[in-house]
Amino acid sequence: MMNNLIILPIIIPIIAGMLMVIGRNMLIFHRLLSLVANISVGLVSVLLIEQIRVDEIQVLNLGGWQAPFGITLVADMFAVMLVLVTAIVTSCCLCYAFSSIGIERERHYFYPLVLFMIAGVNGAFLTGDIFNLFVCFEVMLVASYVLISLGGTRIQLRESIKYILINMISSFFFLAAIAFLYGMTGTLNMAHLSILVAEIGEGGLMTAVAFLFLIVFSLKAGLLLFYWLPGSYSAPPPAIAAIFAALLTKVGVYAIIRVFSLIFYHEPSVTHQFIGILAAITMVLGAMGAIAYGDIKRILTYNVLIGIGFILAGFASFSPAGMSGTVYYLIHDMITKALLFLLGGTIIYLTGTGKLKEMSGLIRLHPQLGWMFFIAALSLAGLPPLSGFIGKIFITRGTFHAGYFWLGGIGLLSSLMVLYSMLKIFMNVFWGYTNFTEETEKGTTKGLLLPIGMLTALTFTLGLGAEGIHEYVDMAVMGLMDPSLYIDAVRGGNPW
Amino acid sequence: MSWFYLFIALPFLYAITVPFLYHKFNPRIHTGWFILIVPLVIFCGLSSYIPAISAGETFCLTFPWIPAYDINAVAYIDGLSLIFALIIAGMGFLVICYSIYYMSKFKEALHNFYIYLLLFMGSMLGLVFSDNIFVLYVFWEMTSISSFLLIAYWYEREKSRSGAQKSLLITVFGGLSMLAGFILLSMITDTYSIREMISKAAIIQSHSLFIPAMILVLLGAFTKSAQFPFSIWLPDAMEAPTPISAYLHSATMVKAGIYLVARCTTIFGGSAAWFWLVTGIGMVTLLYGSINAVRQTDLKALLAYSTIGQLGLIMSLLGLGSAALYSKVGNEGAVYAIAIFAAIFHMLNHSTFKGCLFMAVGIIDHEIGTRDIRKLGGLMHFMPISFLLVLIGSFAMAGLPPFNGFLSKELFFTSLLNAAEMSFFNMNIWGIILVIMAWVASVFTFIYCMIILIKTFLGEKKDYKLKQKEHQAFLSMLMPPLILAILVIVMFFYPNVLVQHLLQPAWVAILPTLAATVPLQIVISPWHGFNTALLLTIGVILAGTLLYKTHEKWRSPYRFYPQTFTINNMYDWVLEKIETCSRAVTNWYMTGFLRDYLVYILGFTILLVGGAAVLFEGLAFEFSRNAAVNMYELLLLSSMVISALTVLLAKSRLTSVIAVGTLGYMMVLFFVLLRAPDLALTQLVVETITTVLFLLCLYHLPKLKRENSPLRFKIVNGVVSVGIGVVMTMVAFSAYSNHSFAPISSFYLNADKLAGARNIVNAILVDFRGFDTMLEILVLTIAGLGVYILIKLQLARGKENEGTK
Repeated sequence: MMNNLIILPIIIPIIAGMLMVIGRNMLIFHRLLSLVANISVGLVSVLLIEQIRVDEIQVLNLGGWQAPFGITLVADMFAVMLVLVTAIVTSCCLCYAFSSIGIERERHYFYPLVLFMIAGVNGAFLTGDIFNLFVCFEVMLVASYVLISLGGTRIQLRESIKYILINMISSFFFLAAIAFLYGMTGTLNMAHLSILVAEIGEGGLMTAVAFLFLIVFSLKAGLLLFYWLPGSYSAPPPAIAAIFAALLTKVGVYAIIRVFSLIFYHEPSVTHQFIGILAAITMVLGAMGAIAYGDIKRILTYNVLIGIGFILAGFASFSPAGMSGTVYYLIHDMITKALLFLLGGTIIYLTGTGKLKEMSGLIRLHPQLGWMFFIAALSLAGLPPLSGFIGKIFITRGTFHAGYFWLGGIGLLSSLMVLYSMLKIFMNVFWGYTNFTEETEKGTTKGLLLPIGMLTALTFTLGLGAEGIHEYVDMAVMGLMDPSLYIDAVRGGNPW
Repeated sequence: MSWFYLFIALPFLYAITVPFLYHKFNPRIHTGWFILIVPLVIFCGLSSYIPAISAGETFCLTFPWIPAYDINAVAYIDGLSLIFALIIAGMGFLVICYSIYYMSKFKEALHNFYIYLLLFMGSMLGLVFSDNIFVLYVFWEMTSISSFLLIAYWYEREKSRSGAQKSLLITVFGGLSMLAGFILLSMITDTYSIREMISKAAIIQSHSLFIPAMILVLLGAFTKSAQFPFSIWLPDAMEAPTPISAYLHSATMVKAGIYLVARCTTIFGGSAAWFWLVTGIGMVTLLYGSINAVRQTDLKALLAYSTIGQLGLIMSLLGLGSAALYSKVGNEGAVYAIAIFAAIFHMLNHSTFKGCLFMAVGIIDHEIGTRDIRKLGGLMHFMPISFLLVLIGSFAMAGLPPFNGFLSKELFFTSLLNAAEMSFFNMNIWGIILVIMAWVASVFTFIYCMIILIKTFLGEKKDYKLKQKEHQAFLSMLMPPLILAILVIVMFFYPNVLVQHLLQPAWVAILPTLAATVPLQIVISPWHGFNTALLLTIGVILAGTLLYKTHEKWRSPYRFYPQTFTINNMYDWVLEKIETCSRAVTNWYMTGFLRDYLVYILGFTILLVGGAAVLFEGLAFEFSRNAAVNMYELLLLSSMVISALTVLLAKSRLTSVIAVGTLGYMMVLFFVLLRAPDLALTQLVVETITTVLFLLCLYHLPKLKRENSPLRFKIVNGVVSVGIGVVMTMVAFSAYSNHSFAPISSFYLNADKLAGARNIVNAILVDFRGFDTMLEILVLTIAGLGVYILIKLQLARGKENEGTK
C-alpha cells in the first residue's frame, strides 16, 4: 500500500530542526518545537501502526519511481514500532534536557542536532534501500559527532576523536560492502536484493560480503566491536548519553536484524550462529566490565553491551520464539537504557561525582529517585513483572529451542551480573549513612524526575500489560520470519 | 473472576495505602494495626476452602494476564497450596501482631517495613497458588526481592546490606536456574501448566533433557530453601528485624523450595537421580546445619543454622518419599509415601515451634539488649513466660513428647528405616548410612536445643553484663508466640484433626497419580508402641544429654576448623576474584588507545571476511570480460602507488599532503580516461580545495615528530594494514567477477525520456535518488554547524571537565 505518511518521521524533524537553526536565539521556541516535532512523529507512527495492522506493510516509492529503481521507504510493523519507541524515549530525554543541559548548549543548536539525529535514526528504520540506509546512517552519525563534542570539554574532545575515526572506518566498510553487493546483484533495493540473493544462493563470496555487513553493523551496535563505546558514552552530558545509549546502538541492532532476516537468511547455521557467538562474547565481556569498576558511568555503559548481546542472542536462534523475545527485549532495552542513563546522570549531578565510594545514603533525601533506580535496576536485569521479563523468557526459550544451550545459559547468567552491578550502585549510592545535607548537594532534581518517572511507568506498563502489545509484536515477528511479506509489499504486484 | 483472587491481590492493593496510613496516623496509632486485617481476612477466606479440599475437591481458576502466550495467572487450589497459604496467612497475622510491639513507632520507618512485608505476603501466596510456571517464577523472584528489602531494612548497617546482597544473589541465581529448567520442561511437554506436566511425567522422564531440567529446577529449590552449599545466605539474613526472621526466614519463604520440590515430586520422582539428589542434599544439609548450630553464640544465628538443618530434614523426607513413584515398586509405594506425609507434617510443625522460638528470642533481644549466649543466663526468674515458650519450642524441635515435633521426628525415623529396606536405588548399601547420619544429626539437634534453653534461662543471673533492665515483655508481644506454643501442644494430642483436614489432602496433592491407585491413609497416635524409631529417639536423648553435659570439653575442635575453608569465605573469595579478574581482563583489552582498537577491528575483519571467503571458497576471478590495460593506465597506476607510498614514508606533513593531493589528481585523470568528465571535474574541485585547506591548517601545527614506536607495533600494524588491503581487494575482484544480473542502472539510460534530463548522473542525483542527495546536503549542514560549534562553544576551558571532578 502506498502511503505518504511514511516520509513524515524523517521529514518532520528535519524541517523543525532547520526552523530552529534560522531562529537561533528563541530557546523557548526550540524547546517547544522539538517536543512538538517528536510528539507528532509519535502520533504519525501510531497512525501507521494502525494502518499496518489493518492493511499490512506500507510502502512509499519516493519521487514516484517504481522500485527497485528509485528509493523506497518501507514501513513494516517492526520498523514503525521502533520509530514510536524512539519518539517516546526522545521526548523524555528532551524533557530532561530542558532543565539540565544548560543554556550554552541550548544556544549552540542542541535541539536541532538532536532532531537531525532522530531524522537519521527514523530514516534507518524506515528505508528499504541499502544505499539510503548508508545515507541515513551518515545523517545520524554526523549529528552524533557534533552532539558528542558539544561543549568542547577535554574528555569530550578526546573521546569524540576516537568515536569519529572508528565510525569513519565503519562507514568506509559499509560503502565497500554495498559496492560488492551491487557488483554481484546490480541492485540496491533490499526487497530486490532479497530475491536476487536467494537466486544466487549464499555461497562463499556472499557469506564474506554478509560478514562485512555484520562487521559494519556490529561496530554501530557495539556487538563485540564495542571498544569505542564505553569512552564515548561517558563523555557527553546525561541527556545526550541517554539518547545515544537508547537509540544509536539499537539502530545497529536493527540493521543486523533487518539485513540478516531479509537478505542473508539462507545459511543461519553459519551467519546466525556466528552472531550468536559474538553475542555470547559480548555478554561475557560486558558483564566483566560492568562488575569491574566502581564508577557509575562505566557500569552503565558496559550494561549497554550486555543488553545488545542479549537481544542478538534471541535473533541468533532465528526461531519465532527467539524473535518475539528479541522484539520485546529491544523495545524494553531502549526504554530502560534511557531511564538508567538519566538516573545515573541525576545521581552524578546531585553528588558531583561518579565514584561509588564517595556516595552514600542518598535515599533519605531522594526517596523517589532511589526507588525509581531500584525499579530500573530490576527491570534491566529482566526481573518480573517488569518489561524485560517476557523478552527474557522468549529469548531463552528461542536459544534453547535452537539447541544453543550455552547461549541461553550465558544470557541468564549475564542478567545475574547485571543485577549485581546495578545493586552495587543502588546499595552504595542510596543506602548507608547519609553523608550530606540538602545544602551540600551540587544540584537539584527539579524538573528531572518527571521524565524519569514517565519512563519508569512505561517499564511497569510494558511488563504488566505485555498482552496489550502482543498483537503488534506478533506481526513484527511474522514479517521478520517471512521475507516474502516484505518483498510482496515492495513489489506491489509488479514482476521483477 | 472469583473472590479468590482478592486474597492474593489484597496485600498488593493494601500496600499502596500504607504510606497514607503511616503519614496520617503515625505516631498516634501504630501502622501495624491497620495491616493486621490483611492476613486475617485472607486466613478466614482461605479457611472456608478447607471443607471442600478435605473432601477431595480441587479448584482451578484462570485470570488472564498474557493469554496470547498462554501466560495466565492460573490459581490451583489443592491440599498442598492450601496448607502453605494458611501458614503464610496465619504466621503473617501473628508476626504483624508481634511486630506492633517489636517495631517502635517512633524510631522506625514503619511504612517501608509494612510495604515490604505486604509485598512479600502477596508474592508468597501467589507463588503457592500458581499453576503456570512463568507466573510462579514471577512470584518466586518477587519473594526474593521483598526478602532483600526486608533484610536490608536497617540499610545503614554494613552487615544488613551485605547480607541482603548475598541472599539476593544466591536466590536470584537459583531463580534463573529454575527458569531455565522450567523452559526446558515447557519445551518437552509443550505446556506451561504444572498439572499438565504432571500428567506428562512419563514423557519427561524418558526425555534426553530430563536430567538437566531436573538439576536446574532443583537449584532453584535448594537455593531458596537454604540447602547445602547454598545455605550461607540464611545466617546472614538474620540481620533483618526478628519478626522478619520468624516469618520469612523460618516459616514461609525458605519453605518455597520445599513447596517446589513437593510440587515437582510427581514430575521427577521415581528416578534414582531425583531420589539421591533430594535425599542426599537434604541429609547433608541436616548434618551441616545441626553441627554448625552447636557452635553459635548468637541466638539468632543458632536458630538460623537450626532452620537450615530442619529444612534439610524436610527435604530428605521428600526425597525418600519419591521412591513411592518408582515404577517397579508395586504395593509398597504407600509405605514409602509416608515419608512425604512426614515432610508436610514436619514442615507445619517447624513453622509453629520455630516461629515460637524466634519470637521468644526477639523478646529477649528487645528487652535485654543482647542475644549473645555468653552474656545471657538465669533469665528464668525474670521472664517466666518466655522461659516457658523457649522450653516448649526447643523440646518440640528436639523431638520430645508431648510436643508436635516428637510425632514428626518419629515419622522421620520410621521413613528412614522403611527406606533402608528398599531393594533398589542401592539402598541396601546406603540405607544404614542414611540412618546413622540422621541419628547423629538428631543428637546435635538435641544438644543445641538444650543450649538455647539452659544457657539462656538457667544458671546464674549475669546482670553485670546486661545493659538494660530486664523485665517481662508486654503481654501483647507474648501473645503470638503463646498461640504458637499452644498449637505445638495441641497438635501433639490431637494430630488427627489436622491429618484429616489439612495434611491428608496435601499428601494426596503431592502424589496425585499414586493416590489414584493406592489409598493414602494414615492415623497418628502419640504412643505408637516400642519400635525401632522410639528406640532411636531414646538413644538420641541419652547421647544428647551426655554430650551436652560434656560439650565444653569437645567444643574445641570447632575452633580449630580452618576458617578459610568455610563456604562463606569461598563465596567472598569467588566474588572478589570475579571482580579483580574482570578488572584485569577489561583493563587489558580496553587500553584507551585508538591504535589498539583499530588493530582489533581490522584484524577481526581480515579474519572474518577473508576467512569466510577462503574457507567457503568464495574467491573466484574472472577477467576475460575486461578491456585490455593500456600504457597510460599502467603509468597512472604506478604513479598512484608511488604517491601512496610517499604518504607513508614522508618526513614532513607538507610532503604527505602534497602526495595525497597527487593521488587525488591521478584519480581525476582516470576519470578522464574512462570518459566521465563531470566526475573528473567534481574530483578536481574537491581535491584542490582540500589540499589548500590542509596546507593552511598544517602550517600552524608543530613539526612532525618521528614516530618511535617499538618494532612489535610496527610489525602488527604492517601485517594488519597489508592484510586488510589484500582482503578488500580480493573480495572486490571476486564481487566484480561474479555479477550475475543486469544492473538496475540500465533503467537510468532512459533518463531523457523518464526525467527529461540529458545527463544521467544529474538525473540520478536530483531525481531518481534525490532523497539521498537531500540527506547528504543535511549531512553537510550538520558538519558545518559542528565546525562552528566546535570553535564557538568551549565550556569549562582549561578544566578537565565541567561539573564533575
